[in-house]
Amino acid sequence: MSVAPPKMLATLRVNGAEIACAFNPNRTLLEVLREDLALTGTKHGCEMGHCGACTVLVDGETVLSCLTLAVECVDREIVTVEGMAGAGELHPLQRAFVECGAAQCGYCTPGMLLSAAALLESNGAPRKSEIEAALAGNLCRCTGYVKIVEAVALAAERMREAAHA
Amino acid sequence: MTLLGKRLARPDALDKVTGAARYPADIVRDDMLRLKVVFAQRAHARILSIDTAEALAVPGVVAVLTARDVPYNRYGLVEEDQPVLCDGVVRYWGDKVALVVAENVRAAELGAQCVRVAYEDLPAVTDARAGMARDAQRVHAGRADNVLKHVRIRKGDVERAFASAHVVLEGEFETSWQEHAYLQPDAGVAYYEDGTLVVETAGQWLHEDRKQLAKMLGLAPEEVAVRYAKIGGAFGGREDLSVQTLLALATWKLQRPTAIVWSREESIVGHHKRHPFWIRAKWGAARDGRIVAAQTELIADGGAYASTSAEVLKGATLFATSTYEIENVASDGYAVYTNNVPSGAFRGFGAPQAHFAAECMVTRLAHALDLDPVEIRRRNVYREGSIEPTQHPLPAGVSAAAVLERCVEEARARMHYGMPDLRPRTHLRRGVGIASGIKNVGYSFGFPEQATATVELFGEREIERAIVRVGAADVGQGAHAALRQIAAETLGLPPHAVRMITDDSARAPDAGSASASRLTLMGGRAVKDAADAAKAKFPGPDAKATVQFRPPATTALDPQTTAGRPNYSYGYVSQAVEVEVDTRTGQIRILKIVSAHDVGRAIDEQLVEGQIEGCLAQAVGYVLTEHLQLRDGKILTPHFSTYLLPTTLDMPTEVYPVLLELADPNGPFGARGVAEMPLVPFAGAVANAIYAATGAWVTQLPMTPERVLAALSASAQLVPHERPRDPVMPLDQHR
Ligand code: FES
Ligand code: FES
Repeated sequence: MSVAPPKMLATLRVNGAEIACAFNPNRTLLEVLREDLALTGTKHGCEMGHCGACTVLVDGETVLSCLTLAVECVDREIVTVEGMAGAGELHPLQRAFVECGAAQCGYCTPGMLLSAAALLESNGAPRKSEIEAALAGNLCRCTGYVKIVEAVALAAERMREAAHA
Repeated sequence: MTLLGKRLARPDALDKVTGAARYPADIVRDDMLRLKVVFAQRAHARILSIDTAEALAVPGVVAVLTARDVPYNRYGLVEEDQPVLCDGVVRYWGDKVALVVAENVRAAELGAQCVRVAYEDLPAVTDARAGMARDAQRVHAGRADNVLKHVRIRKGDVERAFASAHVVLEGEFETSWQEHAYLQPDAGVAYYEDGTLVVETAGQWLHEDRKQLAKMLGLAPEEVAVRYAKIGGAFGGREDLSVQTLLALATWKLQRPTAIVWSREESIVGHHKRHPFWIRAKWGAARDGRIVAAQTELIADGGAYASTSAEVLKGATLFATSTYEIENVASDGYAVYTNNVPSGAFRGFGAPQAHFAAECMVTRLAHALDLDPVEIRRRNVYREGSIEPTQHPLPAGVSAAAVLERCVEEARARMHYGMPDLRPRTHLRRGVGIASGIKNVGYSFGFPEQATATVELFGEREIERAIVRVGAADVGQGAHAALRQIAAETLGLPPHAVRMITDDSARAPDAGSASASRLTLMGGRAVKDAADAAKAKFPGPDAKATVQFRPPATTALDPQTTAGRPNYSYGYVSQAVEVEVDTRTGQIRILKIVSAHDVGRAIDEQLVEGQIEGCLAQAVGYVLTEHLQLRDGKILTPHFSTYLLPTTLDMPTEVYPVLLELADPNGPFGARGVAEMPLVPFAGAVANAIYAATGAWVTQLPMTPERVLAALSASAQLVPHERPRDPVMPLDQHR
């Protein structure tokens, strides 16, 4: 029988908090987030890098947490869906997803939101085709993407307005 | 009326955007035993022995369960022919042979690898048509043949009608499996709570799941409670039990909480699919465009177990003539047992396959008669009082003609439909195809249909708030939001003052399944009628009412005459699809879709549009990219890298849902179902568009580039015609 490798102690920075944890170095970020840190907002849909449901942000970039080892993320800034909302206030993307009906079953939603957040971070006024390209790695089986793309465009517009106000 | 049609935020939206929503895999606790299935991984074999000793020796493995541990080892939604764990024989690749129960996932996985099963392979039936032969290997020993169900529908005399028809065409069509690919793979937990066995998963029908689980364990239904966590899509794919039996069995046996989380591969291998169909059609029309006869043979691969094959087949056979009133009809449907993955419910339930053939045949007839494809539809489409193939008038509220006209109007505006294409000819050809469809709302052919809801009102002088109990699954498309909206509207309350109790078989009455596009109509009527009844008692000490809504009865078909009333309500749809065909590569691009629907009454426009847009994405995948391939019973495409779902980039940039509101006599506020409708005519619309663009007929789904290229080279010529004639219709067959 194989013997589990020794656990390593590390501090992960997740959603702005420093969390000391112990995990095996062969475990993925997805597993550590969901199983050790009880952050179940990040979803599994394939665990092979095909569906995008497990998307999180690491240092502002989208990362498929099912293909990323947790050890690779030590000393980096991890953001999951649980960390998107500010104090008592939804992120404009979250609000737009609610209003536009962009979440049906909602299973793809966390990954979609984070992919969209990364896009808006680098491009505050994306064209429709740019939104579609940014979300092309996130599968949704329910919505047909129409309302998701609308929601991202709406959030971008509001964020631009807020920045100018 | 204040709330109807309004775009209200769904009650679960906030949880879904913040990550707080709990799906089945999110409620797994550390103290739960973990389960791992040993799949057969062969198409057909006798089990000689199962040796569990090595598996039991793995540290952490608690038990290995096999057939002999299952008190009643047969289950199924319609016919009980599927074992929970195989007893003596395996009949398909994903059959479950043993269940390893362990303290953790790793031990369960190791244990599963150490279960030694000795098999003796049997000849496998992997082709439905070959499987129909009298001397074919039996999938289920003891049956006279492999035909699981034959459905026969007769109206008039097709032979006489063909003899006097002006034009008669024949065609052959083939469709493939489709995987539901709900994004949340099957998962769940089971535990005891106050002596009740609780199974908490994602499904489509609380009370039916409970019934089957109780029966498996020899328990009374009340001794089992089924609860639904948030459901990550279903589309018919959660109508059959998958992991629920395993959870219930292990927790009952070991008296400990258990959990299972399937990988994508396990989900694809382990649950049923949409039926592949082979269809042969022969249609005849008079010179004036009246379709006078349609004869259809439909053969469906049912796979290893019955699932809902018989019911799907009834629908497909009924819809072999799409939405047209034809005087002479002869349709024969066969569902055949094979050693392939079982086929069952999937959005559309047999209608998409049947319509693919029918809608191509109608367009071909139009061209053969030198008629516009819309005009031939106009001359034959169902009207109020039209007689169905089953010899009785359609249920009242027939809106097919209005839906068709509205679709054509939109197509002219959005796609320049009917205008000559003046662009220079290149290898990229564009064309618009039109197709129509019909699909039942609710259960058919005498299947018992009801929905029950309880409404309780609170308040001093005025109604201040309400509790609605209705055991109805929200598989993701917003059923709970729609039901809440119906209650709020009926009671004159703001939606947030209505509390919904929906996801526990012990706390909410049976509203039937989230399937057959039925919950808005059926669940909605039960909620509305219960709200009205409770309102009549208000104010009072007991302002509470439970109402069971039963729609007009449907009937099975008379075995002799094949007459009957198969359905009580229909949805009607027409679509226009614009495609671009790359004649060099065979790639199809869908540019624009108009999808027109009679929704009776939109309870929430945003939800209705969302259903249509989402269903269209599944239709695009079904027709173009989703190719589930099997060889010798083995699924060769069990991942999203080979089974390709449409992404943002595969969807057309212009999608136009068009809603008509022509009331259904039974629906709450006139609402009809819409969930399945967009899938129904879509393949036919795309095939017709490709023909308009290139003169080639693609008759196989999915329309892969290879198949498109083959069709192009088989077609008489590649030059687009203004008014193409049917290429397989020699002129001398005109009478
Ligand atoms: S779970 Fe990571 S991409 Fe699917
Ligand atoms: S909302 Fe269900 S997968 Fe996207």
